[in-house]
Amino acid sequence: MSAVIEIEGLRKTFHSMRSGRRVAVDGFDLLVEAGQIHGFLGPNGSGKTTTLRALLGLVRADSGRMTVLGEPSPELLPRVAGQVGAIVESPQFFGNFSGYRTLRLLARAGGVPVSRVDEVLDLVGLSDRGDERVKGYSLGMKQRLAVASALLKDPRLLILDEPANGLDPAGIREMRDLMRSLSASGVTVLVSSHILGEIQLICDHVTIISRGRRVASGRVDEVLAGHDRHEFLVRVAEPERAVELLHAADLTAVVDGEALVVGGVDDPTVISRVLGEQGLWVGELTPLRPDLESVFLELTGAYEHPSVPRQVDDSSLPHGEAVIDLDRGVDA
Amino acid sequence: MNLVRAELERLSARRFVQLMVVLLVLAFAVTAATTLVGSHKPTVSELNSAREQAADARRSMEVTHQQCLAYQDDSLPSGTNETFPSDCSAIDPIRQDRLPIAADYLSGVFNFADQARPLLYFLIAFLVLFGFLVGASYIGADLNSGGVVNLLLWRPRRMTVLAAKLGTLLGTVLVLALLASAAYLATFWMIGQTAGLPGRLDGDFWRSLGAVHGRGLVLVLLASAVGFAIATLGRHTSAALGALAAYAVVWELGGRLVLEIIDARRPDRLMLSSHIGAWLSGGARFFDPRLCAGSSGTDYCEGFYSLTWPTALAVLLLLTGGLTAAAFAVFRRRDLI
Repeated sequence: MSAVIEIEGLRKTFHSMRSGRRVAVDGFDLLVEAGQIHGFLGPNGSGKTTTLRALLGLVRADSGRMTVLGEPSPELLPRVAGQVGAIVESPQFFGNFSGYRTLRLLARAGGVPVSRVDEVLDLVGLSDRGDERVKGYSLGMKQRLAVASALLKDPRLLILDEPANGLDPAGIREMRDLMRSLSASGVTVLVSSHILGEIQLICDHVTIISRGRRVASGRVDEVLAGHDRHEFLVRVAEPERAVELLHAADLTAVVDGEALVVGGVDDPTVISRVLGEQGLWVGELTPLRPDLESVFLELTGAYEHPSVPRQVDDSSLPHGEAVIDLDRGVDA
Repeated sequence: MNLVRAELERLSARRFVQLMVVLLVLAFAVTAATTLVGSHKPTVSELNSAREQAADARRSMEVTHQQCLAYQDDSLPSGTNETFPSDCSAIDPIRQDRLPIAADYLSGVFNFADQARPLLYFLIAFLVLFGFLVGASYIGADLNSGGVVNLLLWRPRRMTVLAAKLGTLLGTVLVLALLASAAYLATFWMIGQTAGLPGRLDGDFWRSLGAVHGRGLVLVLLASAVGFAIATLGRHTSAALGALAAYAVVWELGGRLVLEIIDARRPDRLMLSSHIGAWLSGGARFFDPRLCAGSSGTDYCEGFYSLTWPTALAVLLLLTGGLTAAAFAVFRRRDLI
């Protein structure tokens, strides 16, 4: 598949008279191929939005190479801008304009037929509220309008930064369905979000960023498989005796409440055989598969000390990497 | 062209622009209404009386001039207590800029020819303020709210987007200024025709008024561009307002005071307000007693110096051009976050 977005070695440092310098993105790589719904994850302040802004020419990168639809960005971004729909953070719209007028204005500025406005309003579920002023919109409605503005160009590439912000559960589901249908029609989608369950449901590929560096990337199932500890939840009548038996069979096992967590198991029939041979019958045997949230928290070190409030810059780097000394400063 | 149309729609929909237009119309209406109420068409007897008074005044000036000449020739009868200038040409009626006319002796009568120029100055002052504030708020609010970012996601050409905004601003302000001034002058001309006096509306009058009007429009455009440029550099509308206030207080007031204390020569030529005045009125003269400090008692020293309109225009263009170029250069490389 051809690369739709390529980022290599992106580095961006913000400087501030008051707060000094802060490395927001530090040698970050990203590859999004045609047809993917690619999730872009990272804790607050990890450099997600800065990366997207740099890609779209809104901030100047210190170094690195970026291409969008095969064109170097930001130098030749205007060549492909008509095929890229993007929202970065929560876009601000003119409050006195109606949703329809807002989109009509953007359509005019971008040379898009005005007839497209009604189509996208319908797509995001705002066709009945398009004549109302934007300042009267809820956060979720503004977010829908933002997505509509990104869809206006009928893009080949859609970049959505936190599209589910402010959406109610039904809206989140609609957004999910919309992205799936867009992907099915050949649109490549890069979506950043904090709602990890959503990303897992929607995306086929994922890249995780922490403190400006890529800490994981690939197919979602492969990333999850890479963090699978081959653990199983086991319920038996005598947990303590079961632990002893499993240890004797060179398996790791710990009591977790009324059940056991048994690790390092490739074939779960081993557990039922070891315990069954000693007259302990297994009542439940459930594989403990990692989900995106647990992988994300593990990779970014975002949940190491639940009792201590976590600071924005407390995220971690890839295993084995030295922690770079970041000056605290400008919020990217 | 599409971008300009879109920008035009945004600009015209801005509440601040609408508010300023309403204020303009309101100020215009109040001025016109008070003029209309305070003026009346003079009666024949009022006109005759005014003409007689003007003729008397002109005769009196001629008599005084003749007496002055007689005084110089020592042919004036003794016992005359009047004092005369050493140079009688100073009171020669022929050398005066204008002689008393009937309109000078008509109270409560609006005279368009006499009042058009100050009225136009008032309108230009308002339009200069309008242009500066609208220019600053147009880009300042857009930069601050993320509107520019939104637009750049659609048209990732920074120079084109900023140029379209500036061009739209200047075009809109120019059209508005032209319409407002045309309506303004036409209204007062009509008041002069119907409820006052039109005055002497000859070719010289219209040429002079047209020149003031043209220079005023240029000043309005320059003020709009300056407001736009400073707000772009400072990212906020308030940057332009702050810069204006700081300049007025620090340089026009404080700087002028310091220049006086250190006895600097021709301090007014260093003030932007002097150049604005010189440009608008086609030239300005400033008094500086220091200019006569070295002259001997026998030489006549007037103590005035002039600022010509070409010099004033060059200063204003240099300032506006410099600020605008700086705004474009900074915007081209700026991180938009």
